[in-house]
Amino acid sequence: YPQDMSQLHPKNPTGPGPGDPLLAKQKHHHRRAFEFISKALKIDEENEGHKELAIELYKKGISELEKGIAVDCMGGRGEVWERAQRLHDKMKTNLAMAKDRLNFLALGRKLSTPGRR
Amino acid sequence: QTTTTTVPQGDVDTLMQQVADEAGLELNMELPEGQTGTIGTSTQVSQEQDELTQRLARLRQM
Repeated sequence: YPQDMSQLHPKNPTGPGPGDPLLAKQKHHHRRAFEFISKALKIDEENEGHKELAIELYKKGISELEKGIAVDCMGGRGEVWERAQRLHDKMKTNLAMAKDRLNFLALGRKLSTPGRR
Repeated sequence: QTTTTTVPQGDVDTLMQQVADEAGLELNMELPEGQTGTIGTSTQVSQEQDELTQRLARLRQM
């Protein structure tokens, strides 16, 4: 029963596996972006957090998001690629939001610095 | 000799789950890589981006 056998041992049922270089690259940049932005958020979420450090971490995270978004995952077919495309969209959303937050923090710093010293 | 060894495994599991529920943790979050394969890891990746979105949105409202 060859058909039953193939169902028991599916091999790449959705095309390219996680070993695809493009998908691996996308995931790599996602991972780094997530780490940087998570750290930035942690500092940012504290009221007296070191905003300077948060700003630097947001910048690094934004740069990684841009690299991840630059990975072209629109050409592939199948479940694995569809997930990559959804991740692409989510990274775009977060890129815009992280940039907004960075601008907000940078502006606040400019406004508050002269008065404090 | 300790008394902990006489507690039935089922009770331990129930207690673990209770504590996890109270702390808002997911006990089964870390499945072995081999069993979840690409589905598990890709979903996790996706959830991580969702988490960033939520936290960024929350800061915006403050």
